[in-house]
Amino acid sequence: MQTEDHLSATLFALADPTRRAILERLSRGEATVNEIAAPFEISLPAVSRHLKVLEGAGLISRGRDAQWRPCRLEIASLKGVDDWLAYYRRFWTGSFDKMDAYIATLKDKKDKK
Amino acid sequence: MSAQLADDELLITRDFDAPASLLFTLWSDPVHFRTWMGPEGYDCPNAEIDFRIGGRYRGMIRSKDHGDSWFGGEYREIERPTRLVFTWKWDTGPSGEVETLVTITFREHGDGKTTMTFHQTPFISVARRDSHIGGWNSLFNKLAAYAAEQQAK
Repeated sequence: MQTEDHLSATLFALADPTRRAILERLSRGEATVNEIAAPFEISLPAVSRHLKVLEGAGLISRGRDAQWRPCRLEIASLKGVDDWLAYYRRFWTGSFDKMDAYIATLKDKKDKK
Repeated sequence: MSAQLADDELLITRDFDAPASLLFTLWSDPVHFRTWMGPEGYDCPNAEIDFRIGGRYRGMIRSKDHGDSWFGGEYREIERPTRLVFTWKWDTGPSGEVETLVTITFREHGDGKTTMTFHQTPFISVARRDSHIGGWNSLFNKLAAYAAEQQAK
């Protein structure tokens, strides 16, 4: 289970279309900064900044090779987002079950009047 | 890992045997709100609602096993009886600290039934949320496929 701060960091990292596009690229395999930057009309330093955010959130890791440092996707870090969604889904569907039952009692009362 | 990734933020669509105006009231009137808020095993002993754009609500659900959980937020859009937008945040717990945006729409059918669409995202503004929906969906779809591939290896 990730900590709250970790979830916030993951959600923050995902809340940017360029960073999601980078993750999408990495879901097809490892890539260097240059390879990642190629399809984007932004500078290498800007791509590096995005990579730093993704790395900080644990969404990607970078190789040790000082020159190339290929990036790879760390899909396990999305587990926190998945847990978050699952929690809310259970909470709301459970509440809506009760809403449904409550509507039935309201109708019942109305019919008896 | 098992690939249980969601394919969207959180989207729940549900049909109710009630007119849209009643469903809207169940969300906006604290007396009604307390009767259904919280899943099975929870009561909602406390709910205060200042139902106007910019107004706030605050409530608490209680269960024997999990104790008291407080939540609250602010109303952003109110269009009776078709659309309701508000922020949502738990005080504590695994999802605390992350303010989310809830968008609910009610579409009434001719037969007295209403489809309620419930949408929740971790994005706190409508504009930002709308600009991200497509990207996020497609990302999760692709990541889920990727995870399945990795598992198969």
